[in-house]
Amino acid sequence: MNDAKERMAPSQGIEGMLLANRDRLIRFLLARGAGEAAEDMFQELWLRLSARPGGPIADPLSYIYRAANNLVLDRYRSARQAGLREQDWGAVSVGAEPAVDQALISREQLIHVDVAIDALGERCARIFRSFRLEGKSQRIIAAELGVSLSTVESDLRKAYDMLAALRRQFDEQ
Amino acid sequence: MNSDVAMNNNVNAAIQSQANDWVIRQRDPEFSDWDAFTDWLEQHPDHLAIYDATASMDIDIGGLPVPARGSSGVPVEPPKRFVSGRRGWLGGVLAASIVGMIGYALIDVNSNGTRIETVAGEHRTLNLADGSRIEINGATVLELDSDRPRFAKLERGEAMFYIVHRANEPFTVEAGTAKLVDLGTAFNVVRRSNGTSVAVSEGIIAYNPDRENVQVDVGKKLDVRDGVGRPQLHDIDIQSVGGWRTGQLVYSGTSLAEVANDLSRTTGMNIAVSSNVEELPFRGALLISKDRDRTIDDLTALAGIHAEKTADGWLLTR
Repeated sequence: MNDAKERMAPSQGIEGMLLANRDRLIRFLLARGAGEAAEDMFQELWLRLSARPGGPIADPLSYIYRAANNLVLDRYRSARQAGLREQDWGAVSVGAEPAVDQALISREQLIHVDVAIDALGERCARIFRSFRLEGKSQRIIAAELGVSLSTVESDLRKAYDMLAALRRQFDEQ
Repeated sequence: MNSDVAMNNNVNAAIQSQANDWVIRQRDPEFSDWDAFTDWLEQHPDHLAIYDATASMDIDIGGLPVPARGSSGVPVEPPKRFVSGRRGWLGGVLAASIVGMIGYALIDVNSNGTRIETVAGEHRTLNLADGSRIEINGATVLELDSDRPRFAKLERGEAMFYIVHRANEPFTVEAGTAKLVDLGTAFNVVRRSNGTSVAVSEGIIAYNPDRENVQVDVGKKLDVRDGVGRPQLHDIDIQSVGGWRTGQLVYSGTSLAEVANDLSRTTGMNIAVSSNVEELPFRGALLISKDRDRTIDDLTALAGIHAEKTADGWLLTR
């Protein structure tokens, strides 16, 4: 009907949350290296989130931050794939989605990673794979293996340190 | 000098450990310490670069083989490698993006197939290895096969294809019973439950070259209903091809049912059409702006119909 507008609910939920936290989110996007694209990225975040079908979200602000973080990471990966220098990636046009199916490391490198995980020792390898590949929480892993939470934490750190070292090798190749 | 290098290495190692901790912590779906994360990023420019590299590597290793058995010795279900739109565990448009932390929105159909599913309102772009590009509208299912790099199947929904032409290896898009073979092309394909449309904005495509073999030139649109009659060709404005990508949908005599379908897919709005208006032809341009009500207002004004707000969207009616 013609008075449809008046019957619309005011902007609320995630859109209200976006608006109310605009400055914080822009600051976050800038800290995440968005540079001059920060405003555009905020717009894109808005478009994506406002188009999102309804449904309860436990912590909308964290949801928005996570979405923003992933958006920036997508751009970073997209730029790396396009072979741009890292400092230029903020210039990648907003709205251009990354190639979702392209890994930045090769299949051979992945096999290398797999072998290196085994070399961490049985417990560490198991903890890492449960956490990263099976998506189990640290608490659940600790309970399943009968070890302390701090053991799980330190094994994960060890595994991620190894990954960082491998990554630097790959970058030099 | 040597002590400087050693010190730098120590500093970098410390930053790397901190970046690792952030990536590990952010894997927890309940992570909420984004302010502290922002503070950390702002502390030193190196933090950002090391975090990006670390988080990106963390995405890549999602391709590792999943352990064959669960930690308790019993078989476990492999983790979900994909978000299947509405059924995804976050259930939102951003599900794919969010799960990007855990694995991209890919479904392993078979060993070499990739299935990409978007929810209504979500737009994605795929860059193919040969330089071709596919832009995917919402509510769409597209399948690729690494064994057939010059092939895509549009199961449902809409996609714009920018194909790098190779004379001896044409790119083929399958949509329902329609087979579209590019002859150097940019074209938009819509796959509906009962038919297919393809509009060409650059080059030429061949429709079912081994059967009807209809040539669709630039500036033409081909509509075909599954199993009913010959495909129809219309003139179109090439500027309007794939208009969903830029937020402008242009129509000249398209049924309201189809328009509502396009709008729903592109924006994520839920738009139903009552039977008394679904066959009405619609002419005009609709701008998709942030103000979604505005789009509905434009549509109703141009079509001379009404829109009623429903529990989960809109109903177009007389």
